[in-house]
Amino acid sequence: MRVPESIISLCFAVSLPLAGQSTGVTGVRGLAFGTVFPGVSRVVVRTDAANSGQFDLKAHPGATASLTFLLPAVMTGPAGATMTLVFGANDAGFSASQSINSQVAFDPRTPYLATFSGNRASVFLGGTANPSTAQRAGNYTGTITLTVVFF
Amino acid sequence: MYTATKVAVLALALVAAGAATAQAQNNASINVTAAVQQPITVVAATNLDFGNVFPGVVKGITLASPAAGRFSVTGQASTPVSMTFVVPANLTSGLNNLPIAFSASWNGINDPAGSGFTPSAGATAATLSGTGTLFVFVGGTVTPSVGQVAGAYTGTVQMTVVY
Repeated sequence: MRVPESIISLCFAVSLPLAGQSTGVTGVRGLAFGTVFPGVSRVVVRTDAANSGQFDLKAHPGATASLTFLLPAVMTGPAGATMTLVFGANDAGFSASQSINSQVAFDPRTPYLATFSGNRASVFLGGTANPSTAQRAGNYTGTITLTVVFF
Repeated sequence: MYTATKVAVLALALVAAGAATAQAQNNASINVTAAVQQPITVVAATNLDFGNVFPGVVKGITLASPAAGRFSVTGQASTPVSMTFVVPANLTSGLNNLPIAFSASWNGINDPAGSGFTPSAGATAATLSGTGTLFVFVGGTVTPSVGQVAGAYTGTVQMTVVY
């Protein structure tokens, strides 16, 4: 009768720390192209502290996680007008130190495997807005989603 | 023995649950935004025309005169802009000069009774109307000398408008 109780105690000792780990991702700052003009492309680089997009990640040191963006092809504006968005191979950056000045570039169009050195990290995102020469004036918006799978 | 078996199954279930929590998926979203502004268009609508002038007789064109110059501007409604001018100090006819000074006003509607300013004084702030229009009126004074050589004198007033 004493042996089964010991087994139960051991199992809880192993499983509780895993369940208590805190992981997560938070959207911190939107990707803002600001004022643009018809026919004039606007680029926001991922190192732009005011206009680049930012997500903050939380995990345990040494953890790995896959980062997968869901990127819109267009922003939507007045009366259903759309504005083309382009994301390039160098437009995303992972910073294990959460410093915008210390990023490892990656392609946001494909999943990226990140490794945490501490328990917090950040992902930065730039991109290009391409308004057409006949782009309707007004405000345009879209949604960028980052899915993080922690291992 | 029966009890021991049940506990072992429970133990395996707990281990399996622990393994499941080791992989977690999280999502978060941010917005991507842009604001498209109407480009500015400037049209030189009317030339500033002094007509005939005579040596030694100063002639002025008021802003309200049909002979005043006028620029028409369109752009983003209710938006501030900055206007700068390049104006000549003289009208010219060949190598001959005719001194000129300018006055101006701007208005959201086509009415010269707007806000007065001096074009040569540097950048001037203005605001496009609620329908995105701006009108700039240009008058001036020419001062022919008593020995002014007869001829057709011309010059160019250039206006630049930016947000």
